[in-house]
Amino acid sequence: MSKIPEDIARMANNPTFQEKIPVRVKGEGDSLRVTLEPGTPLPFIKEELNRRFEQMKHLAVNARVVIDAGEVEHAEEIVGELGRFLKDTFKVASVSPPARPAPAAAERTAPREAPPPWRYHRTDALVLAGRVRSGQKITARKHLVILGDVNPGGEVVAGGDIIVLGSLCGNASAGQPSHEEAIVLALDFRPIQIQIGGFVAAGSSDSPGKKIEFAHLEGGTILVEDYLQANPFGRLPWPQVR
Amino acid sequence: MEGKTIVITSGKGGVGKTTATASLGAALALEGKRVAVVDMDIGLRNLDVVMGLENRIVFNVVDAAKGKCKLKQAAIKDRRVENLFLIPASQSDNKDALSPELMKQFAKELRREFDFTLMDCPAGIERGFENAVAAADEAIVICTPEVSSVRDADRVIGLLYARSITPKLVVNRIVPAMVEKGDMLSHEDVVDVLSIELIGLVEMDEQVVVSTNTGIPSVLQKGSVAGEAFRRIAMRINGQPELPIAVPQGQKRFWKKVGRKLGFGK
Repeated sequence: MSKIPEDIARMANNPTFQEKIPVRVKGEGDSLRVTLEPGTPLPFIKEELNRRFEQMKHLAVNARVVIDAGEVEHAEEIVGELGRFLKDTFKVASVSPPARPAPAAAERTAPREAPPPWRYHRTDALVLAGRVRSGQKITARKHLVILGDVNPGGEVVAGGDIIVLGSLCGNASAGQPSHEEAIVLALDFRPIQIQIGGFVAAGSSDSPGKKIEFAHLEGGTILVEDYLQANPFGRLPWPQVR
Repeated sequence: MEGKTIVITSGKGGVGKTTATASLGAALALEGKRVAVVDMDIGLRNLDVVMGLENRIVFNVVDAAKGKCKLKQAAIKDRRVENLFLIPASQSDNKDALSPELMKQFAKELRREFDFTLMDCPAGIERGFENAVAAADEAIVICTPEVSSVRDADRVIGLLYARSITPKLVVNRIVPAMVEKGDMLSHEDVVDVLSIELIGLVEMDEQVVVSTNTGIPSVLQKGSVAGEAFRRIAMRINGQPELPIAVPQGQKRFWKKVGRKLGFGK
Protein backbone atom coordinates (compact mmCIF):
# COMPACT_ATOMS: atom_id res chain seq x y z
CA MET A 1 0.00 0.00 0.00
CA SER A 2 3.03 2.22 -0.25
CA LYS A 3 1.95 4.11 -3.37
CA ILE A 4 -1.67 4.67 -2.68
CA PRO A 5 -1.57 6.53 0.57
CA GLU A 6 0.70 9.06 -1.10
CA ASP A 7 -1.70 9.54 -3.92
CA ILE A 8 -4.72 9.71 -1.65
CA ALA A 9 -3.13 11.91 0.93
CA ARG A 10 -2.33 14.47 -1.72
CA MET A 11 -5.91 14.58 -2.83
CA ALA A 12 -7.45 14.33 0.59
CA ASN A 13 -5.46 17.21 1.93
CA ASN A 14 -6.71 19.51 -0.77
CA PRO A 15 -10.38 20.16 -0.22
CA THR A 16 -11.02 21.89 -3.54
CA PHE A 17 -9.39 19.03 -5.32
CA GLN A 18 -11.23 16.54 -3.18
CA GLU A 19 -14.63 17.78 -4.28
CA LYS A 20 -13.96 17.20 -7.94
CA ILE A 21 -12.79 13.59 -7.53
CA PRO A 22 -15.53 11.24 -8.80
CA VAL A 23 -13.93 8.14 -7.27
CA ARG A 24 -11.79 8.17 -4.16
CA VAL A 25 -9.95 5.22 -2.64
CA LYS A 26 -8.60 5.43 0.84
CA GLY A 27 -7.16 2.99 3.30
CA GLU A 28 -9.31 2.85 6.39
CA GLY A 29 -8.37 0.50 9.20
CA ASP A 30 -7.97 -2.96 7.67
CA SER A 31 -10.15 -2.17 4.65
CA LEU A 32 -10.25 0.04 1.59
CA ARG A 33 -12.90 2.68 1.42
CA VAL A 34 -14.17 3.69 -1.99
CA THR A 35 -16.12 6.93 -2.01
CA LEU A 36 -18.12 7.72 -5.13
CA GLU A 37 -19.30 11.13 -6.19
CA PRO A 38 -23.10 10.80 -6.65
CA GLY A 39 -24.14 10.97 -10.28
CA THR A 40 -20.93 9.55 -11.75
CA PRO A 41 -21.77 7.11 -14.60
CA LEU A 42 -21.13 3.47 -13.76
CA PRO A 43 -18.75 2.66 -16.71
CA PHE A 44 -16.57 5.60 -15.73
CA ILE A 45 -16.44 4.34 -12.13
CA LYS A 46 -15.42 0.87 -13.32
CA GLU A 47 -12.71 2.32 -15.51
CA GLU A 48 -11.41 4.45 -12.66
CA LEU A 49 -11.50 1.54 -10.18
CA ASN A 50 -9.75 -0.63 -12.70
CA ARG A 51 -6.92 1.89 -12.98
CA ARG A 52 -6.56 2.35 -9.22
CA PHE A 53 -6.76 -1.31 -8.25
CA GLU A 54 -4.33 -2.23 -11.00
CA GLN A 55 -1.77 0.09 -9.37
CA MET A 56 -2.23 -1.74 -6.07
CA LYS A 57 -1.44 -5.10 -7.73
CA HIS A 58 -1.35 -7.89 -5.14
CA LEU A 59 -2.49 -5.60 -2.32
CA ALA A 60 -5.99 -5.69 -3.73
CA VAL A 61 -6.18 -9.45 -3.41
CA ASN A 62 -8.20 -10.52 -0.37
CA ALA A 63 -8.79 -6.90 0.57
CA ARG A 64 -11.98 -5.88 2.22
CA VAL A 65 -13.64 -3.05 0.35
CA VAL A 66 -16.27 -0.64 1.61
CA ILE A 67 -18.09 1.27 -1.11
CA ASP A 68 -19.78 4.48 -0.12
CA ALA A 69 -22.11 5.40 -2.97
CA GLY A 70 -23.43 8.43 -1.12
CA GLU A 71 -27.09 9.33 -0.65
CA VAL A 72 -28.40 8.14 -4.01
CA GLU A 73 -31.45 6.06 -5.00
CA HIS A 74 -29.82 2.90 -6.31
CA ALA A 75 -26.94 2.79 -3.87
CA GLU A 76 -27.37 -0.93 -3.13
CA GLU A 77 -27.48 -1.85 -6.81
CA ILE A 78 -24.37 0.16 -7.51
CA VAL A 79 -22.54 -1.45 -4.62
CA GLY A 80 -23.67 -4.94 -5.77
CA GLU A 81 -22.63 -4.32 -9.37
CA LEU A 82 -19.25 -2.90 -8.42
CA GLY A 83 -18.79 -5.67 -5.85
CA ARG A 84 -19.18 -8.37 -8.51
CA PHE A 85 -16.82 -6.43 -10.80
CA LEU A 86 -14.12 -6.06 -8.10
CA LYS A 87 -14.42 -9.68 -6.91
CA ASP A 88 -14.15 -11.00 -10.48
CA THR A 89 -11.34 -8.73 -11.59
CA PHE A 90 -9.17 -8.26 -8.50
CA LYS A 91 -10.12 -11.17 -6.15
CA VAL A 92 -11.05 -8.90 -3.29
CA ALA A 93 -12.40 -10.69 -0.23
CA SER A 94 -15.63 -8.75 0.38
CA VAL A 95 -17.50 -5.68 -0.77
CA SER A 96 -20.02 -4.00 1.49
CA PRO A 97 -21.82 -0.70 1.89
CA PRO A 98 -20.57 1.52 4.74
CA ALA A 99 -21.87 0.61 8.18
CA ARG A 100 -24.40 3.21 9.31
CA PRO A 101 -23.98 4.50 12.86
CA ALA A 102 -26.81 3.12 14.99
CA PRO A 103 -28.95 6.17 15.72
CA ALA A 104 -31.15 4.42 18.30
CA ALA A 105 -28.18 3.57 20.47
CA ALA A 106 -26.92 7.12 20.34
CA GLU A 107 -30.29 8.42 21.46
CA ARG A 108 -30.47 6.02 24.34
CA THR A 109 -27.20 7.16 25.83
CA ALA A 110 -27.70 10.85 25.11
CA PRO A 111 -29.87 11.90 28.08
CA ARG A 112 -27.69 10.03 30.54
CA GLU A 113 -24.54 11.69 29.31
CA ALA A 114 -25.99 15.15 28.67
CA PRO A 115 -25.79 17.54 31.62
CA PRO A 116 -29.07 17.98 33.55
CA PRO A 117 -31.17 20.81 32.09
CA TRP A 118 -30.68 23.07 35.12
CA ARG A 119 -26.88 22.88 35.00
CA TYR A 120 -26.55 25.71 32.49
CA HIS A 121 -29.94 27.27 33.16
CA ARG A 122 -29.63 30.88 34.15
CA THR A 123 -32.43 31.96 36.41
CA ASP A 124 -35.54 33.64 35.06
CA ALA A 125 -36.94 34.33 38.51
CA LEU A 126 -37.16 37.71 40.16
CA VAL A 127 -36.67 37.20 43.88
CA LEU A 128 -37.66 40.12 46.09
CA ALA A 129 -37.64 40.50 49.85
CA GLY A 130 -39.99 42.93 51.57
CA ARG A 131 -43.56 44.01 51.64
CA VAL A 132 -45.61 45.00 48.61
CA ARG A 133 -47.85 47.77 49.86
CA SER A 134 -51.14 49.12 48.58
CA GLY A 135 -50.66 50.96 45.30
CA GLN A 136 -47.34 49.28 44.52
CA LYS A 137 -47.10 47.07 41.48
CA ILE A 138 -44.36 44.55 40.83
CA THR A 139 -43.93 43.10 37.38
CA ALA A 140 -41.64 40.19 36.57
CA ARG A 141 -40.80 38.95 33.09
CA LYS A 142 -40.95 35.33 34.21
CA HIS A 143 -41.29 33.88 37.71
CA LEU A 144 -41.72 36.07 40.77
CA VAL A 145 -40.77 35.10 44.31
CA ILE A 146 -41.69 37.46 47.16
CA LEU A 147 -40.01 36.81 50.50
CA GLY A 148 -42.54 38.83 52.46
CA ASP A 149 -46.15 39.86 52.20
CA VAL A 150 -48.40 41.38 49.59
CA ASN A 151 -50.77 43.78 51.31
CA PRO A 152 -54.39 44.44 50.29
CA GLY A 153 -54.25 46.73 47.27
CA GLY A 154 -50.75 45.60 46.31
CA GLU A 155 -50.29 44.02 42.89
CA VAL A 156 -47.90 41.34 41.67
CA VAL A 157 -47.69 40.41 37.99
CA ALA A 158 -45.52 37.72 36.43
CA GLY A 159 -45.02 36.00 33.11
CA GLY A 160 -44.62 32.71 34.98
CA ASP A 161 -45.35 31.53 38.50
CA ILE A 162 -45.88 33.70 41.56
CA ILE A 163 -44.64 32.39 44.89
CA VAL A 164 -45.26 34.42 48.03
CA LEU A 165 -43.45 33.23 51.14
CA GLY A 166 -45.77 35.18 53.40
CA SER A 167 -49.33 36.46 53.17
CA LEU A 168 -50.84 37.18 49.79
CA CYS A 169 -53.69 39.64 50.42
CA GLY A 170 -53.53 41.68 47.21
CA ASN A 171 -53.95 40.94 43.52
CA ALA A 172 -51.82 38.33 41.80
CA SER A 173 -51.62 37.83 38.03
CA ALA A 174 -49.52 34.84 36.98
CA GLY A 175 -48.73 33.57 33.49
CA GLN A 176 -49.32 36.90 31.82
CA PRO A 177 -50.37 37.22 29.08
CA SER A 178 -51.18 33.64 28.06
CA HIS A 179 -49.15 31.05 29.98
CA GLU A 180 -51.85 28.81 31.39
CA GLU A 181 -49.54 26.39 33.20
CA ALA A 182 -48.56 29.04 35.73
CA ILE A 183 -49.45 28.76 39.41
CA VAL A 184 -49.86 31.19 42.28
CA LEU A 185 -48.65 29.90 45.64
CA ALA A 186 -48.65 31.56 49.04
CA LEU A 187 -47.99 30.38 52.57
CA ASP A 188 -51.01 32.42 53.62
CA PHE A 189 -53.35 32.52 50.66
CA ARG A 190 -55.93 35.32 50.97
CA PRO A 191 -55.86 37.20 47.66
CA ILE A 192 -58.43 39.74 46.53
CA GLN A 193 -58.19 38.51 42.97
CA ILE A 194 -56.21 35.93 41.03
CA GLN A 195 -55.45 35.87 37.33
CA ILE A 196 -53.80 33.01 35.50
CA GLY A 197 -53.28 33.48 31.78
CA GLY A 198 -56.46 35.15 30.60
CA PHE A 199 -58.65 33.75 33.40
CA VAL A 200 -59.81 35.70 36.43
CA ALA A 201 -61.11 34.53 39.80
CA ALA A 202 -62.26 36.54 42.78
CA GLY A 203 -60.68 35.71 46.10
CA SER A 204 -62.94 34.16 48.68
CA SER A 205 -63.42 35.71 52.08
CA ASP A 206 -63.15 32.48 54.06
CA SER A 207 -59.80 32.18 55.74
CA PRO A 208 -57.79 29.13 54.75
CA GLY A 209 -56.43 28.53 58.21
CA LYS A 210 -52.93 27.12 58.41
CA LYS A 211 -52.80 25.57 54.97
CA ILE A 212 -50.38 26.44 52.21
CA GLU A 213 -52.54 26.90 49.16
CA PHE A 214 -51.94 27.40 45.47
CA ALA A 215 -54.09 28.36 42.51
CA HIS A 216 -53.81 26.72 39.11
CA LEU A 217 -55.85 26.47 35.96
CA GLU A 218 -57.86 23.36 35.24
CA GLY A 219 -60.35 23.14 32.38
CA GLY A 220 -60.81 26.87 32.10
CA THR A 221 -61.40 27.55 35.80
CA ILE A 222 -59.01 28.59 38.49
CA LEU A 223 -58.79 26.01 41.27
CA VAL A 224 -57.36 26.63 44.71
CA GLU A 225 -56.00 23.58 46.50
CA ASP A 226 -53.95 22.62 49.50
CA TYR A 227 -50.44 22.51 48.10
CA LEU A 228 -49.09 19.73 50.29
CA GLN A 229 -52.11 17.53 49.74
CA ALA A 230 -52.42 18.06 45.98
CA ASN A 231 -48.62 17.93 45.49
CA PRO A 232 -48.93 18.98 41.85
CA PHE A 233 -45.33 18.34 40.88
CA GLY A 234 -44.78 15.22 42.97
CA ARG A 235 -45.30 12.87 40.06
CA LEU A 236 -42.81 14.38 37.66
CA PRO A 237 -40.22 11.70 36.87
CA TRP A 238 -37.33 14.10 36.67
CA PRO A 239 -36.78 17.61 38.03
CA GLN A 240 -37.75 20.00 35.28
CA VAL A 241 -36.96 23.58 34.54
CA ARG A 242 -40.14 25.65 34.69
CA MET B 1 -30.66 73.19 68.33
CA GLU B 2 -32.78 72.74 65.24
CA GLY B 3 -36.38 71.66 65.63
CA LYS B 4 -38.21 68.75 64.03
CA THR B 5 -40.90 68.85 61.40
CA ILE B 6 -43.43 66.05 61.71
CA VAL B 7 -46.18 65.49 59.17
CA ILE B 8 -49.39 63.89 60.38
CA THR B 9 -51.04 62.03 57.55
CA SER B 10 -53.37 59.13 56.77
CA GLY B 11 -54.39 59.05 53.12
CA LYS B 12 -58.03 58.57 53.99
CA GLY B 13 -60.08 61.46 55.25
CA GLY B 14 -61.98 61.59 58.52
CA VAL B 15 -59.72 59.33 60.57
CA GLY B 16 -58.67 62.04 63.02
CA LYS B 17 -55.60 63.74 61.56
CA THR B 18 -56.71 67.22 62.55
CA THR B 19 -57.78 66.19 66.03
CA ALA B 20 -54.52 64.33 66.51
CA THR B 21 -52.50 67.32 65.31
CA ALA B 22 -54.25 69.67 67.71
CA SER B 23 -53.99 67.24 70.62
CA LEU B 24 -50.35 66.33 70.04
CA GLY B 25 -49.45 69.98 69.54
CA ALA B 26 -51.06 70.95 72.83
CA ALA B 27 -49.54 67.96 74.64
CA LEU B 28 -46.02 68.74 73.38
CA ALA B 29 -46.45 72.37 74.36
CA LEU B 30 -47.55 71.24 77.84
CA GLU B 31 -44.30 69.29 78.00
CA GLY B 32 -42.57 72.62 77.70
CA LYS B 33 -41.61 72.60 74.04
CA ARG B 34 -42.13 75.41 71.59
CA VAL B 35 -44.63 74.00 69.12
CA ALA B 36 -46.21 75.17 65.88
CA VAL B 37 -49.14 73.37 64.31
CA VAL B 38 -49.50 74.09 60.61
CA ASP B 39 -52.72 73.51 58.70
CA MET B 40 -51.67 72.31 55.25
CA ASP B 41 -55.23 71.72 54.04
CA ILE B 42 -55.25 74.83 51.87
CA GLY B 43 -58.79 75.72 50.83
CA LEU B 44 -60.44 73.49 53.45
CA ARG B 45 -59.02 74.79 56.69
CA ASN B 46 -60.39 73.51 59.97
CA LEU B 47 -57.50 73.10 62.39
CA ASP B 48 -58.24 76.65 63.55
CA VAL B 49 -61.79 75.62 64.49
CA VAL B 50 -60.62 72.54 66.35
CA MET B 51 -58.19 74.72 68.32
CA GLY B 52 -60.72 77.48 68.87
CA LEU B 53 -58.61 80.15 67.21
CA GLU B 54 -60.65 80.91 64.09
CA ASN B 55 -61.50 84.48 65.09
CA ARG B 56 -57.87 85.57 65.29
CA ILE B 57 -56.63 84.68 61.82
CA VAL B 58 -55.02 87.54 59.91
CA PHE B 59 -52.26 85.90 57.86
CA ASN B 60 -51.95 82.30 56.82
CA VAL B 61 -49.41 79.68 55.77
CA VAL B 62 -49.45 80.73 52.11
CA ASP B 63 -48.60 84.31 53.06
CA ALA B 64 -45.84 83.16 55.37
CA ALA B 65 -44.34 80.65 52.91
CA LYS B 66 -44.38 83.17 50.07
CA GLY B 67 -42.85 85.83 52.27
CA LYS B 68 -45.83 88.17 52.20
CA CYS B 69 -45.68 88.33 55.98
CA LYS B 70 -43.28 87.37 58.72
CA LEU B 71 -43.54 83.98 60.36
CA LYS B 72 -44.32 85.64 63.68
CA GLN B 73 -47.25 87.47 62.12
CA ALA B 74 -48.79 84.28 60.76
CA ALA B 75 -48.28 82.21 63.93
CA ILE B 76 -51.24 82.66 66.24
CA LYS B 77 -50.39 82.16 69.89
CA ASP B 78 -52.72 79.94 71.87
CA ARG B 79 -53.89 81.70 75.03
CA ARG B 80 -54.49 78.58 77.12
CA VAL B 81 -51.29 76.70 76.40
CA GLU B 82 -47.91 78.35 76.63
CA ASN B 83 -45.62 77.96 73.59
CA LEU B 84 -48.35 76.63 71.27
CA PHE B 85 -48.78 78.39 67.94
CA LEU B 86 -51.13 77.83 65.02
CA ILE B 87 -50.27 78.67 61.43
CA PRO B 88 -53.64 78.43 59.70
CA ALA B 89 -54.37 77.45 56.12
CA SER B 90 -55.63 79.86 53.53
CA GLN B 91 -59.31 79.38 52.82
CA SER B 92 -59.43 81.21 49.50
CA ASP B 93 -56.45 79.61 47.68
CA ASN B 94 -56.13 76.06 46.42
CA LYS B 95 -53.34 73.50 46.86
CA ASP B 96 -51.36 74.88 43.90
CA ALA B 97 -50.70 78.06 45.87
CA LEU B 98 -47.76 76.22 47.47
CA SER B 99 -45.07 74.01 45.97
CA PRO B 100 -42.78 71.40 47.58
CA GLU B 101 -39.75 73.67 46.98
CA LEU B 102 -41.46 76.57 48.71
CA MET B 103 -42.40 74.33 51.65
CA LYS B 104 -38.83 73.05 52.04
CA GLN B 105 -37.69 76.63 52.30
CA PHE B 106 -40.46 77.47 54.77
CA ALA B 107 -39.67 74.41 56.90
CA LYS B 108 -36.11 75.65 57.42
CA GLU B 109 -37.53 78.81 58.89
CA LEU B 110 -39.92 76.83 61.10
CA ARG B 111 -37.14 74.57 62.41
CA ARG B 112 -35.17 77.61 63.55
CA GLU B 113 -38.13 79.03 65.40
CA PHE B 114 -39.84 75.96 66.93
CA ASP B 115 -38.82 72.72 68.64
CA PHE B 116 -41.65 70.84 66.97
CA THR B 117 -43.63 71.70 63.88
CA LEU B 118 -46.67 69.50 63.31
CA MET B 119 -48.07 69.55 59.78
CA ASP B 120 -51.70 68.63 59.42
CA CYS B 121 -51.71 66.93 56.02
CA PRO B 122 -54.83 66.97 53.86
CA ALA B 123 -56.50 63.72 52.82
CA GLY B 124 -55.38 62.26 49.51
CA ILE B 125 -51.96 61.80 47.97
CA GLU B 126 -51.94 64.68 45.51
CA ARG B 127 -50.41 68.14 45.62
CA GLY B 128 -51.49 68.89 49.18
CA PHE B 129 -49.85 65.70 50.43
CA GLU B 130 -46.68 66.40 48.46
CA ASN B 131 -46.45 69.91 49.87
CA ALA B 132 -46.87 68.70 53.44
CA VAL B 133 -44.44 65.78 53.09
CA ALA B 134 -41.74 67.75 51.26
CA ALA B 135 -41.02 69.72 54.40
CA ALA B 136 -41.16 66.84 56.88
CA ASP B 137 -38.34 65.06 58.72
CA GLU B 138 -40.65 62.52 60.31
CA ALA B 139 -44.15 61.25 59.77
CA ILE B 140 -46.97 59.94 61.89
CA VAL B 141 -49.60 57.89 60.10
CA ILE B 142 -53.05 57.89 61.66
CA CYS B 143 -55.15 54.84 60.95
CA THR B 144 -58.51 53.61 62.22
CA PRO B 145 -59.22 49.89 62.55
CA GLU B 146 -61.13 49.77 59.27
CA VAL B 147 -60.11 47.97 56.12
CA SER B 148 -60.41 51.08 53.95
CA SER B 149 -58.34 53.18 56.31
CA VAL B 150 -55.68 50.47 56.55
CA ARG B 151 -55.39 50.26 52.81
CA ASP B 152 -55.00 54.02 52.38
CA ALA B 153 -52.50 54.17 55.23
CA ASP B 154 -50.56 51.38 53.54
CA ARG B 155 -50.39 53.39 50.32
CA VAL B 156 -49.23 56.47 52.19
CA ILE B 157 -46.57 54.47 54.03
CA GLY B 158 -45.25 53.28 50.66
CA LEU B 159 -45.08 56.87 49.44
CA LEU B 160 -43.33 58.02 52.61
CA TYR B 161 -40.73 55.25 52.34
CA ALA B 162 -40.17 56.35 48.75
CA ARG B 163 -39.21 59.77 50.17
CA SER B 164 -36.93 58.05 52.75
CA ILE B 165 -39.16 58.96 55.67
CA THR B 166 -39.80 56.13 58.14
CA PRO B 167 -43.32 56.70 59.46
CA LYS B 168 -44.74 55.80 62.85
CA LEU B 169 -48.23 54.56 63.45
CA VAL B 170 -51.11 55.70 65.63
CA VAL B 171 -54.22 53.53 65.64
CA ASN B 172 -57.15 55.80 66.39
CA ARG B 173 -60.77 55.18 67.42
CA ILE B 174 -60.43 51.69 68.81
CA VAL B 175 -63.63 50.35 70.34
CA PRO B 176 -62.41 47.65 72.73
CA ALA B 177 -65.83 46.02 73.08
CA MET B 178 -66.15 45.58 69.32
CA VAL B 179 -62.60 44.28 69.01
CA GLU B 180 -63.36 41.74 71.68
CA LYS B 181 -66.44 40.54 69.84
CA GLY B 182 -64.48 40.31 66.61
CA ASP B 183 -66.50 43.04 64.88
CA MET B 184 -63.51 45.33 64.55
CA LEU B 185 -59.92 44.81 63.48
CA SER B 186 -57.64 44.66 66.48
CA HIS B 187 -54.59 46.89 66.60
CA GLU B 188 -52.45 43.78 66.13
CA ASP B 189 -54.15 43.14 62.79
CA VAL B 190 -53.48 46.70 61.70
CA VAL B 191 -49.84 46.60 62.79
CA ASP B 192 -49.46 43.22 61.08
CA VAL B 193 -50.48 44.61 57.73
CA LEU B 194 -48.75 47.98 57.99
CA SER B 195 -45.65 46.65 59.80
CA ILE B 196 -44.26 49.98 60.97
CA GLU B 197 -43.38 51.15 64.45
CA LEU B 198 -46.44 51.73 66.62
CA ILE B 199 -46.33 54.78 68.86
CA GLY B 200 -49.83 54.93 70.19
CA LEU B 201 -53.29 53.43 70.52
CA VAL B 202 -56.21 55.79 70.97
CA GLU B 203 -59.58 54.63 72.16
CA MET B 204 -62.84 55.89 70.70
CA ASP B 205 -63.89 58.79 72.89
CA GLU B 206 -67.09 60.86 72.69
CA GLN B 207 -65.32 63.65 74.54
CA VAL B 208 -63.34 64.34 71.37
CA VAL B 209 -66.51 65.47 69.59
CA VAL B 210 -67.21 67.89 72.42
CA SER B 211 -63.66 69.21 72.46
CA THR B 212 -63.52 69.78 68.68
CA ASN B 213 -66.84 71.60 68.76
CA THR B 214 -65.85 73.81 71.65
CA GLY B 215 -62.31 74.35 70.43
CA ILE B 216 -60.61 73.00 73.55
CA PRO B 217 -57.93 70.40 72.79
CA SER B 218 -58.80 67.02 74.32
CA VAL B 219 -55.50 66.88 76.22
CA LEU B 220 -56.73 69.83 78.31
CA GLN B 221 -59.90 68.01 79.31
CA LYS B 222 -59.81 66.02 82.50
CA GLY B 223 -60.98 62.45 82.16
CA SER B 224 -60.69 62.26 78.38
CA VAL B 225 -59.35 58.80 77.44
CA ALA B 226 -58.23 60.01 74.02
CA GLY B 227 -56.59 63.06 75.56
CA GLU B 228 -54.61 60.83 77.92
CA ALA B 229 -53.52 58.61 75.02
CA PHE B 230 -52.35 61.62 73.01
CA ARG B 231 -50.38 62.89 76.02
CA ARG B 232 -48.53 59.61 76.16
CA ILE B 233 -47.86 59.71 72.41
CA ALA B 234 -46.46 63.23 72.83
CA MET B 235 -44.14 61.93 75.56
CA ARG B 236 -42.93 59.19 73.24
CA ILE B 237 -42.23 61.73 70.51
CA ASN B 238 -40.52 63.96 73.01
CA GLY B 239 -37.63 61.71 73.92
CA GLN B 240 -39.27 58.87 75.88
CA PRO B 241 -39.70 56.26 73.16
CA GLU B 242 -39.65 53.36 75.61
CA LEU B 243 -42.79 54.48 77.44
CA PRO B 244 -45.11 51.45 77.28
CA ILE B 245 -48.15 51.63 75.01
CA ALA B 246 -51.39 51.03 76.90
CA VAL B 247 -53.85 48.82 75.04
CA PRO B 248 -57.38 50.24 75.34
CA GLN B 249 -59.60 47.90 77.28
CA GLY B 250 -63.33 48.18 77.85
CA GLN B 251 -64.77 48.55 81.33
CA LYS B 252 -66.38 45.14 81.07
CA ARG B 253 -63.01 43.52 80.83
CA PHE B 254 -62.56 43.49 84.59
CA TRP B 255 -65.85 41.69 85.25
CA LYS B 256 -65.14 39.27 82.45
CA LYS B 257 -61.81 38.43 84.07
CA VAL B 258 -63.54 37.89 87.40
CA GLY B 259 -66.18 35.77 85.67
CA ARG B 260 -63.52 33.69 83.98
CA LYS B 261 -61.77 33.16 87.29
CA LEU B 262 -65.04 31.96 88.78
CA GLY B 263 -65.54 29.55 85.90
CA PHE B 264 -68.06 31.41 83.70
CA GLY B 265 -67.65 32.21 80.04
CA LYS B 266 -65.19 30.56 77.75
